[in-house]
Amino acid sequence: MASIVAAGVAGLLLTTMPAVHAAESITVWHYFSGNPTQEKVMTDYKAIFEKENPGATVENVYVPYDQMNSKLIAAASTKTGPDVVVFNGAETSLLVDGGILAPMDSYWNAFADKAQFPASVIHKANGKVYSAQGYVNLLGLWYNADILAKIKMPLPTTIAEMEKAMAAAKKAGYKGITLCGLPQGQGEWQAMPFISSTGFNYGNLNEKALTDGLGIAKRWVDKGYLSKEATTWDQTVPFQKFLVGDTLFAENGNWQAGAAAGAKFKYGVAALPIGSKGKIYLGGESTAIGAFSKNKDLAWSYLKSTYFSKSGQLVVVPVGSIPSRLDSAKDKSVTGNKLLKPFAAEIAKNGANYPPTEIPATKIADAQTAGGVAWSSVIGGTATPANAAKKYIAAIKALQG
Amino acid sequence: MTLLSTKSSIDAIRSAQRKGGHLLYVVPAVFLLTLLSAFPLFQLARMSFSDVGIKNITGVWTNVGFANFKAIASDPDFKQILINTLVFVGIVTFLGLILGFVAATAFNDAKKSSDFLLAFMVFIWALPPIVNGSVWKFLLGGDGLINVLLQKVSLISEPIPFLYDPKMALYSVAMVNCWAVIPFNALILKAAFKSVSKDVLEASEIDGVTPLQQIRYVYFPSSRPTLLVLAILTLVYGFRSFDFIYVMTYGGPGLATNTLPFLGYIKAFVLFDFSKGAAIALLSAIFTSGLALLYSRSVRKEEQND
Amino acid sequence: MTNAVKKGRKKSRGIVRRSAKTIFAFFYGMPIVWIILTSFKQETDVFSTQSSLFFSPTLSTYRKLLTSSLFESFTNSIIIATCATVITLLVSIPAGYALARFSNKTLGIGLTALIIFQMIPQTATIIPLFQIFNKLGMLDTLPSVILADAALLTPFAILLMRPFFRSIPVALVEASQIDGASSWQSFSKISLPLARNGIATTATLIWIISWGEFLYAVNLILSPNSYPMSAILAQQVGGFGIFWPGLMALSVLASLPVAILFIFTYRLLREGLTLGAVK
Repeated sequence: MASIVAAGVAGLLLTTMPAVHAAESITVWHYFSGNPTQEKVMTDYKAIFEKENPGATVENVYVPYDQMNSKLIAAASTKTGPDVVVFNGAETSLLVDGGILAPMDSYWNAFADKAQFPASVIHKANGKVYSAQGYVNLLGLWYNADILAKIKMPLPTTIAEMEKAMAAAKKAGYKGITLCGLPQGQGEWQAMPFISSTGFNYGNLNEKALTDGLGIAKRWVDKGYLSKEATTWDQTVPFQKFLVGDTLFAENGNWQAGAAAGAKFKYGVAALPIGSKGKIYLGGESTAIGAFSKNKDLAWSYLKSTYFSKSGQLVVVPVGSIPSRLDSAKDKSVTGNKLLKPFAAEIAKNGANYPPTEIPATKIADAQTAGGVAWSSVIGGTATPANAAKKYIAAIKALQG
Repeated sequence: MTLLSTKSSIDAIRSAQRKGGHLLYVVPAVFLLTLLSAFPLFQLARMSFSDVGIKNITGVWTNVGFANFKAIASDPDFKQILINTLVFVGIVTFLGLILGFVAATAFNDAKKSSDFLLAFMVFIWALPPIVNGSVWKFLLGGDGLINVLLQKVSLISEPIPFLYDPKMALYSVAMVNCWAVIPFNALILKAAFKSVSKDVLEASEIDGVTPLQQIRYVYFPSSRPTLLVLAILTLVYGFRSFDFIYVMTYGGPGLATNTLPFLGYIKAFVLFDFSKGAAIALLSAIFTSGLALLYSRSVRKEEQND
Repeated sequence: MTNAVKKGRKKSRGIVRRSAKTIFAFFYGMPIVWIILTSFKQETDVFSTQSSLFFSPTLSTYRKLLTSSLFESFTNSIIIATCATVITLLVSIPAGYALARFSNKTLGIGLTALIIFQMIPQTATIIPLFQIFNKLGMLDTLPSVILADAALLTPFAILLMRPFFRSIPVALVEASQIDGASSWQSFSKISLPLARNGIATTATLIWIISWGEFLYAVNLILSPNSYPMSAILAQQVGGFGIFWPGLMALSVLASLPVAILFIFTYRLLREGLTLGAVK
């Protein structure tokens, strides 16, 4: 009996299933799952490309978010990998360091529409273009219009007005705001608009300004506008909490537009009221050609007809993302979209390059973690704003060398 | 056969075995582990003494001696993280073992309901940490079922901040990890109890033995070797487990639930400082291997008295 | 001791047992109820009815998940879990037996090595394993996941089974060898049957763990068409949040085989109990 099983196992070990990758086929690795509107973009892009290139096929490979980088690194260690990678734009130099991305210079320089792309969405490393974004994601102030009407408050244009509205909401039995307070990159990303509103940024490591900035969060927790539970929330959970309908504000991204459509109350978006000093990161996924792609030309034509084309970029509008090309951003479907308008205004007023250029490219993740920990410890009450600020600045200075 | 020759042949067999008469039996295991476990371990150790980042993970590694270990130890947060780790591992090992033992004895009554309940617990144990961790995150949340229930029966007026109070968060995460190891410990211990002679067990049930006496004189001695293994396995699990923390608190608020295995994961797979991640893993491995030596020594000592 | 006291103690034992069982049932029942309820929720209801039993249930998540490709991943999972269990047992039963009989330095070295292997974080083994399987030309195949799982679980299985072999009286083994049985015969005819409780329990656990293992599955299998269920489950966690009903419904679907396995092994274990007291 045992020997039969052993033979069976041995037989199974010998039959290695061949991987099928036809010559005219490209694989696209991405991490969109759980958001139907985002998943649809991937299948729409596949359809667009296959229609424009008869005979060629696209295989969309969904990689769990947490496994994306380790899978890319492992694949690169054996000189394999996807043809196209869709990844967090901030991580371009990391992936370039890992030898995962191929330079796009030759394609990009010959690209007729390259002038349509603002510099902030083209990611370079070692002087070469490696990736570019088809859209921009950023944070705004989502509000529950029903509550706002009930408490008879106008849309806030300063943090003081925002706090006044939250105080009134709390008095009326509602919650003030939901946001992400995780001690990692997402927390730092959500902290930045507020902690920079007082003048702090990676180019100006002013401890007093940072203490004041972190103090905003502390005040909100102390006054009961913001739950300490935010320290356990990623960026998605607080928006789902907001959609329950008992919270006045949510600091969250444009990509929630699809989810917001299911809300059972009237809602809207305003620019974050962070004054002239406040900075809002311009994030979003970037796209690149894999270093070990066997069909780089085809990979480039995929990018050219989807993420980088005028009409292709409009596919992301239902997701809530803002097309990166100047001409697509001027399209009626974008300018006529009430939800996207405040975001577009923010880009002009408070938009900041992401990743921040003041941090060495290889240390971005460390800076994000330090920021997230500071933000989380103030919200959770494990540190005072002053102590958190001191530690955060020391960490950044160490990273800047 | 005379008594004398029986004895001498037993001695012969024993000494043959002690000299390694069974070595052939371990060959397959040694082969598999050398191929697939020793190499990763060797790489991990080498990595912890080198400077390995995303740039050279597949390239050349330069030796940096103990620099990684020094950097970790001199991190201002290291002390807090180390204490968190010890508290976490202590709770998971100690309570996980005791409650596993309690469950195994409670379920050792040949009733269908016990079999069913234990099977059910193992069934839940089998779910991945992302599921179990998320479920507990929901249940323990401010608007979660537990808080709502407690508020409904007016035991509390404000929700208990299980996962976001700076002090409570670590205990909550440790308790959930504990919850996750109990079914496993109970199942193994229950199997170990089966080696207790039925007569002894029945006698102890019929005689007027108190539950505590029964545990002390029947269950405990019969499962001692298994308990020792489980203690080591649970401890190792505690020193390795980061997934519940990752799902439930991500080490926060601040650093309140940050432990060595979690930090090791973050260093290696979020910050891509593979060397520091490896050094932390190696540090934990060295610590547990100290315990492993103690374990194997106690096993040898105990078994010599057999 | 009077009969009344004996009776009273027996009764108190019953009460202690029952209350312990009730507490365990509560703490393990609550999460599973929550999982099942959530799997029938609309995504928008997950948070608004976080702690409520009242919501309008929907089968839409199950309908979306139950496709032919899920059946394929189900088959892959069965293959992976079963083969990994068989290999692990073939390798670790003899090793556990041998380690139970050693009493010299080899034992110390063996045990320590096994525990250190247990300590390697699984995440740290991914890249080295990826390189090994690439050299062997086995990437993107189920056997690579099977072997990786087997290597992951072998130290664990040996450590677990050793005490069960150890609890077999040495006299029994020695007697058989004096009667002329070879070492192999006394292992297969005497020790193996006597350790069956431990082996069956360990086998069940190994099967369950390899059924749920997803890190190797996600990393060593390149084409998602050949993912096992555990990897599909991990896929519910996206870059922009988790699809809760999907995660919970898949957990329910993925656990059904575990439940079935349990019904079988439990019968087996029960029979094992009645078939024979060791002593």
